[in-house]
Amino acid sequence: MASEGLSSTPEELRSTPPALVVGELSLEGGAAGGTPPTAAAGIPGRERADLFRTILTYTVMFTVAALFFIPFLWSVSTSFRTIADTVQGFSLLPKHWTTVGYHEVFYKYHFGRYTMNSAIIAGAITLTNLFLASIGGYAFARLKFPGREVLFMLVLGTLMIPDQLRLVPIYQMLVNMLPSWLGHVGWQNATFTNRNGVILINLVSAASLFLMRQFFLTIPRDLEEAAKLDGAGYFKTYRRVMLPLAGPALAAVCILTFQGSWNGLFWPAVLLQDEAQRTIPLGLVYFQTIYTTLWPQLMAASVVAILPVLVLFVLFQRYFVAGVAASGVKG
Amino acid sequence: MAVKERNARGLGSERLREALVGYGFIALPMSFFLLFFIFPIGYAAYISRYDWGIFRGPFVGFDNYRQLYHDTVFWQHAVRNTLVYTAVVVPLQMAIGLSLAVVVNQAIRFRTFFRSAFYFPSLASSAAIVSIATYILASDGLLNSFLGRLGYEHSYAWFARQDTALPAIIGLNAWTTAGTMMLFYLASLQAISTEVYEAAAIDGAGAWRTFWKITFPLLKPGHFFVAVVSIIGALQMFDQSFIVGGTSGGPNYSTMTVVLYLYNRAFSAHFGYAAAIGLVLFVFIFTVTLIQRLLFGKAEVA
Repeated sequence: MASEGLSSTPEELRSTPPALVVGELSLEGGAAGGTPPTAAAGIPGRERADLFRTILTYTVMFTVAALFFIPFLWSVSTSFRTIADTVQGFSLLPKHWTTVGYHEVFYKYHFGRYTMNSAIIAGAITLTNLFLASIGGYAFARLKFPGREVLFMLVLGTLMIPDQLRLVPIYQMLVNMLPSWLGHVGWQNATFTNRNGVILINLVSAASLFLMRQFFLTIPRDLEEAAKLDGAGYFKTYRRVMLPLAGPALAAVCILTFQGSWNGLFWPAVLLQDEAQRTIPLGLVYFQTIYTTLWPQLMAASVVAILPVLVLFVLFQRYFVAGVAASGVKG
Repeated sequence: MAVKERNARGLGSERLREALVGYGFIALPMSFFLLFFIFPIGYAAYISRYDWGIFRGPFVGFDNYRQLYHDTVFWQHAVRNTLVYTAVVVPLQMAIGLSLAVVVNQAIRFRTFFRSAFYFPSLASSAAIVSIATYILASDGLLNSFLGRLGYEHSYAWFARQDTALPAIIGLNAWTTAGTMMLFYLASLQAISTEVYEAAAIDGAGAWRTFWKITFPLLKPGHFFVAVVSIIGALQMFDQSFIVGGTSGGPNYSTMTVVLYLYNRAFSAHFGYAAAIGLVLFVFIFTVTLIQRLLFGKAEVA
């Protein structure tokens, strides 16, 4: 099938994400296309060659995997060291285990507050994404209204607008335009160069909405028909029939949105000017420029930044992968 | 007759109700997209035509663009670094991503573990990853100690030197983003029918030959897709430069990128100028995307 992305017909979009048309993404299973068939297994010496190959493969794999893990393990190891320990030659494990790094980062360098800010921002954005993407996705998938396809194309089109283009206009909107509008309706002195601004401009993403819509399209209509015969309205059908069935899609939206906003640096760097409002990534940036050699503290803060995403990833791997097609990649 | 009419009217009002409910359900998400995605494009174009400091100044027509055309920091540092970065990091990400994909596509034990391990750096906080890298690449860091044991004694703080800061960022991002490219390549590899490999095996082709003569050419749509995703990501590089070099892209502009320069100009109270940079970048990225659409439109995908 030839995909033409945004110019595809609605039917094509229903079955295929516009961004990725090259099969299924998965961390598990999949066809082992690279394995040569072992038709010649009976040839003498073949087994030994195979064994050698297997050992070689695993050695290479574990070495590469170690390369991917060493930086993380090294940061965890350092986060439990004393500062003296970081400059006295190298040892794999700390010479004296200590949690001073974590303690200082949380209580002396305000990362307790930053963690809270990150959690509030990521939590709020995740909740609004779940609600707005699911209700919008339901409407786009199931309800008929004039202009539906055009409006949906518009939503997908926003994926092509880079954040950098939005920096200046959005900053101006949040600083000047929006507070002045709100002033006219009686909400004086509203400010958005803070947490609220970061949440406001991330209320829902086209990727979340797209993911929900695609999922709703795969649910058989019978259940809705049954609900309709029982006299249930559209909102009730959405809440009582569709949402309970959409567990996997909601989980994917939840996890991807949380991960994205927890890690986000660009918008916090643009909008959060008050020290007390900083998120963990922004806190890390400033901490590094001020305290250049407090390695245990810096590593402790990095571990705190990475840990929630690692836990989510270990528990819900396949949802992360499910959304890659719709969410794109970071630079 | 009367019954029929009533049914028709009933159906009509039902349709109207469905449409109204539909608009109601998309009202919030749609107004959000219009207000914070569609409108800002026009507003950016508007702002870029003014001498806009923090507030709107006098109308200057295309002066911001003219000034941008003659801006040496923009061309000689921001654009140059971004292009160098893109030209090096994209092939690296593709090569590493493809190698990883081919390896983890084999029938091996712990396959899921390996895939996850390679993918995870793409998911972790970029700020945390740069922090860890800063530590490892510090003058008395892990890398220098390792190089010292190999006999290359030196005390570079890799991120702090003008000649090594950008290459260090390139290496770092090739490593972190390769996992995502691996996933895309994996999907692309799995779209290749196993019969092709069987035919190659019957013809007596070895693994190496099979890869270069069969797998690699068959991955063409995958190459296109990964290249474009990687290019678009690379052109927007911000986080790593922002953390390593601050808003001025130090040391001595060596890590200045287009997006960082845009950020820098905006928060030096040159919003009109920054808006012009944003639009130029947008047009450039849009062109790359369009080229991708054209190529993809033609490519037959399984």
